[in-house]
Amino acid sequence: MKKLLAVLFSFMLLFALACGKESDVVKKGETIKIGFLGPMTGDAGNYGKLMSQAVKIAVEEFNAAGGAEGFNAEVIVEDTEGKVEKANPAIEKLAGVDKVFGIVGSVFSSVSLAVAPKAEAAKIVMVSPSSTHKDLPGKGKFIFRDVMSDALQAVVFGKYLANIEKVKTVAILYIKNDYSQGLAMDFKEQFEKEGGKVVAIETALQGDKDFKTQLTKIKGTSPEALYVPNYVAEIAQILEQAKQLGIKTKFYSADGFSNPQIIELAGELANGVIYTQAAEQPTSQKRKDFEAKYQAKWGEKPDAFSLNAYDGAWIMLNAIKATAGKGANGNLKVDRDKIRDYVAKTKDFDGASGKVTFTADGDLVANIGIYTAENLKFKQLKMFKLDGEKLVELK
Amino acid sequence: MNLFNIPHNELLQHLINGLTLGAIYSLIALGYTMVYGILKFINFAHGEILMLGAYAGYYIYYFICDPTQGGVFVIFAFIISILTAMVCSASLGVIVERVAYRPLRKAPRLAPLLSAIGVSIVLMNLAALFFGTKSKKFDFPFDNSTLQAGGTSITPNQIMILAVGLIMMAALKLFVDRTRLGKAMRATSQNQSVAALMGINVDFIISLTFAIGSALAAVAGVLMALEFKLYPTMGQMAGLKAFIAAVVGGIGNISGAMLGGIILGLLETFGVVIIGIPQGLKDTIAFSALIIILLVKPSGLLIKNIREKV
Repeated sequence: MKKLLAVLFSFMLLFALACGKESDVVKKGETIKIGFLGPMTGDAGNYGKLMSQAVKIAVEEFNAAGGAEGFNAEVIVEDTEGKVEKANPAIEKLAGVDKVFGIVGSVFSSVSLAVAPKAEAAKIVMVSPSSTHKDLPGKGKFIFRDVMSDALQAVVFGKYLANIEKVKTVAILYIKNDYSQGLAMDFKEQFEKEGGKVVAIETALQGDKDFKTQLTKIKGTSPEALYVPNYVAEIAQILEQAKQLGIKTKFYSADGFSNPQIIELAGELANGVIYTQAAEQPTSQKRKDFEAKYQAKWGEKPDAFSLNAYDGAWIMLNAIKATAGKGANGNLKVDRDKIRDYVAKTKDFDGASGKVTFTADGDLVANIGIYTAENLKFKQLKMFKLDGEKLVELK
Repeated sequence: MNLFNIPHNELLQHLINGLTLGAIYSLIALGYTMVYGILKFINFAHGEILMLGAYAGYYIYYFICDPTQGGVFVIFAFIISILTAMVCSASLGVIVERVAYRPLRKAPRLAPLLSAIGVSIVLMNLAALFFGTKSKKFDFPFDNSTLQAGGTSITPNQIMILAVGLIMMAALKLFVDRTRLGKAMRATSQNQSVAALMGINVDFIISLTFAIGSALAAVAGVLMALEFKLYPTMGQMAGLKAFIAAVVGGIGNISGAMLGGIILGLLETFGVVIIGIPQGLKDTIAFSALIIILLVKPSGLLIKNIREKV
């Protein structure tokens, strides 16, 4: 019996080893696979759709330029619906079946936090174009993002509201997910440190449509401003219902607001909302080219996250190209650790979103822009840099 | 200030919010309760019939007019689209009954229940496939600017929800209590075979019940879409809540469903405000209410006024 078990186990070990080796080789005639992980359907489906289209463009360009050693790349899009329970099987598939070398994603912070350990374990470089939770880059060596951290966003916005807009009292209404909660808490801490007062803090669940109870309670505390760091489906409902309840305060939000769908859902109500997002860098030719290509191919405008997704895809494709080498029988040998090290060294990468540099953690070095919606269009008002504790305006 | 240490106008505001929510729940709960009253089974596809009714209304509405234009014609178009939505949902309800429930009428009670859940999943995913999963905005046919009175505000849409809800429920009550068909319906719910012996066409009455319940759901669906936007899963939670409302009020009892809906709407609003249940746990209020009612008074608040069958 023992013998049988020993034989069985050695076979399993052999099998596992063989598989491990296998995953780092792209056979002749096959493609280099990278993954995209994000919500393709559901309330948040528009985020994933826009970003995955950007990744597809990057892959097309990569292939048109000859790929890596003549090997073409391919993107596998997996739908998370923005939910952790859907994302888990999706990452298992990308890591186990498709054996991807890199993942652009995931989109939502809660999902990225959940899948990060799995990407790390499978040695898949993950570059999130939109997960802004402050804890994400710390989740592992293979985890990166080319979107700025919430901690930065919230700290800058707390300082900005208290010191520059001179707002004294704020009410917060956030959705219980990692993104909104992280922003709300960091903002509250900073705003209070600057001498501001948070008069009401209300929560709701993702997917809620009725915020009247919370808004009525908030109205009773008559704040000067309302901070709603949520995603567009909820923000649209909040704006509409706040108006119905006669709340006339100013509205502030974060980069979740930057999806163009807000204009469709909230219409005129979106005007005047002020929000933070990574500062817009001088429009480069690269960005113009990308936007034109995107418009031509998909018939719609890319959002800010799509620029990040495009850059993220290029960063990992470049890394694969630079580190992969021809192996035996015309196969392509790929080394996951080398890819990771190459990505980690990214400095001043000239992307569509601007210059991308990663910190030692894998976080993005970024300036923060203060934006608003005006006449149903997004517009950057000011730009700030955090210099130690001081907020410095960039001209 | 009052007992709860909340300003009066704020309390009144919560009352209005709770009542509108409750009116929607009631309208949906009626469908559950009517079907249960007659077939002793829960039609779990009811929420999806509501959702499809709302979509039908949406497409017809935007086919006839451009709601951003405003004016009398838009209101007219809106009324037409509600009526068409009612017809669509009613036919769908009848078809679903004919296809998925009637063949199982003699089967064990679990079978039609499972069939209902299946229909619900199929309809929801079909909607996601054909209409897309993005939320759609349903423009108001009228100017939905808030009416203010002493710190309390109400929107024309909330008034419409309350009014339409009230009218529909009153009409249904009159229909069931005062007309021959209503009488036949009550007879069928008491004893199908005896009703058949009295010359009542039981199959027809059951189809009628589904049609009426589904038409009411379509109205609720359109009202919900105006208030909370349109999306394929809109019927899911609303359907569950309405089911709870029906149980709380006493399932099978029409007045009970109305009462249960209103109570649930108020509970959800005031549970948060007065008892201080965290807003994130709002949905648990409804389910706790279900558990408590099942433990304390399983027959519901209003007991059905018929004697036990012998």
